[in-house]
Amino acid sequence: MEWVGRWPTSWDGHLALVYDDEDQRRAGVAAWGRRGLDVAAKILYTEPAQEPPERSFVALLEEHGIGVDAAVERGQLQVFPASAQAYSPAWQASVVEGALASGYPSVRWSGEAATAWGVMSPAAHADIEQATDGLCDSGAVSVLCQYPSDLSPTTWQTVVRTHRGGVTDSLLRVSQVLGGLGLTGEVDASNVQTLSALLMAIGAWLAGTDLVLDLGGLTFMDLAGVRAVLGATAAHRGRGGRVRLQAPQQQVARVLAGMGVDTSTGCRIEGAP
Amino acid sequence: MKGTEAIPAQTFTHDLLLHDGPDQLVDGVRAFVDQGLRSGGQVLIHGTPGQLDTMRDALGTHARLDYGLTSDLFRQPMSKLFATQRLLAESPYPVELWAVGIPSPTPDRAMGTRWVRFESLINEVLAPYAFHALCAYDTRTAPKRLIATGRATHPWITSQGYRTTSPEYLAPGAFHCTAWARVPGPVDMRPEVNVVLHGMRDLPRARQLVARAAATGSSLPRDEVVGFITAVHEVLVNGLTHGLPPVYLTMWAKPSTLTCRVLDTGPGISDQLAGCTYPDPAGPKGLWLARQLCGDVYVTNFPPGGSCSVLLTT
Repeated sequence: MEWVGRWPTSWDGHLALVYDDEDQRRAGVAAWGRRGLDVAAKILYTEPAQEPPERSFVALLEEHGIGVDAAVERGQLQVFPASAQAYSPAWQASVVEGALASGYPSVRWSGEAATAWGVMSPAAHADIEQATDGLCDSGAVSVLCQYPSDLSPTTWQTVVRTHRGGVTDSLLRVSQVLGGLGLTGEVDASNVQTLSALLMAIGAWLAGTDLVLDLGGLTFMDLAGVRAVLGATAAHRGRGGRVRLQAPQQQVARVLAGMGVDTSTGCRIEGAP
Repeated sequence: MKGTEAIPAQTFTHDLLLHDGPDQLVDGVRAFVDQGLRSGGQVLIHGTPGQLDTMRDALGTHARLDYGLTSDLFRQPMSKLFATQRLLAESPYPVELWAVGIPSPTPDRAMGTRWVRFESLINEVLAPYAFHALCAYDTRTAPKRLIATGRATHPWITSQGYRTTSPEYLAPGAFHCTAWARVPGPVDMRPEVNVVLHGMRDLPRARQLVARAAATGSSLPRDEVVGFITAVHEVLVNGLTHGLPPVYLTMWAKPSTLTCRVLDTGPGISDQLAGCTYPDPAGPKGLWLARQLCGDVYVTNFPPGGSCSVLLTT
């Protein structure tokens, strides 16, 4: 069957794209690129200096049927080779300013975390991610950072903390809300790992207090999703913390009730339909 | 009750009350209700508005006696059945339930099938609990076939005050192999959806196709469609994890009914009643959840002895 990812529709803000494999990454980046061209944004991309041609951003777009020759020609789409300087917040800010000054309504920037880790330490990169969150504050700049899904808990913590727009895969977007995480989209057996990892990471730093899960934007959750929520918060609940599942929509509320989550130790469903 | 022992408390019982009119019906129900109230349990009588008036006049009121409409029970009998199971399994204190069912005198064919399935599966779903059911069939008006299936789905029969075990009783597994159970075969019409799933990543697309076909091909209420899509999804996940991919999904839509068939390519399933009993905390729950969320779930091996085929209906 033809696989259809649903991806975020706007791609606005500072987002982390998580992927399990290269096909998924390429599909996400292509959808991001297409959206950027649709809104006539300046599109910037950082890739390794020695990137093989078939792995390049331009080849990726072309593989997905997005012609970019004209955009490259008029300077709308620009690719930078990775270097320590290419990640300097001051230099990035000046590039963004230049693009906005020349009349682009918005700027979109992307690259793989692994590319950055090739020219700097993960700790230094985490600082830059923090600065990038500030850069995206104005609303005219959106940055998409690409992360493989097999990250350590500490890296997950950094990723969710530094990407105010959220962590996204093809179905689900998870972002930080007051006291926990907000979920938008769908969680099922195909993508529960991301949610599990994020819940473990956030549960660890909320030790002993309430963990809020805002489910208002979640349109589908299955048994695997419920198991992920229960499994990944077991330690948090075991330490006396509670999980507050807020505003589930009809389908999610039925699955939660069907699985007896309303009676599970340490879970509370609030604002069910 | 004359000449027979009382219904034992703290166990599962499911009795067929054969009566020939209001007097015998009231007598039979009264004997059952009296025992229920004496046991300290909750008693609920289901009937048509007219039947409930008759019962209330005869039996009066009691703090632990409630009346409900059979039509409400009929609307989604399986989800009511599993809701009762959860109530009994999850209650922190002992609960004993006594329920009377008086089927509508004129069930349509589809309802009749649902009722027969319900009457049989109750013996599996509620077997471990302190639950007692008395189902009253009117021998003057009930079709012969309904009486015959009643004898096959009730372990005990009460008639004219005498309670005996039913010699024709068949356990649910055996009953489902009979023609009475009317396990539907593939629907004789063009499918709305016919797709192959190779892995978990095909699931969102499959849900999308089922949702679209339900929206265009049926006029069912949204909550029924939502439950059906979720049930189909869980059965697909089951096929991909416990069976083997590729998994084939076929869907037929009629204004009043949605039907999906999920066929995997694994070794088949030995327990056709999988997902009926209350699950262990760590055990599989997909089929159990699916059975709660849609009209009915039929598990078979198709072709016989082959892979697992699950048919779901609204």
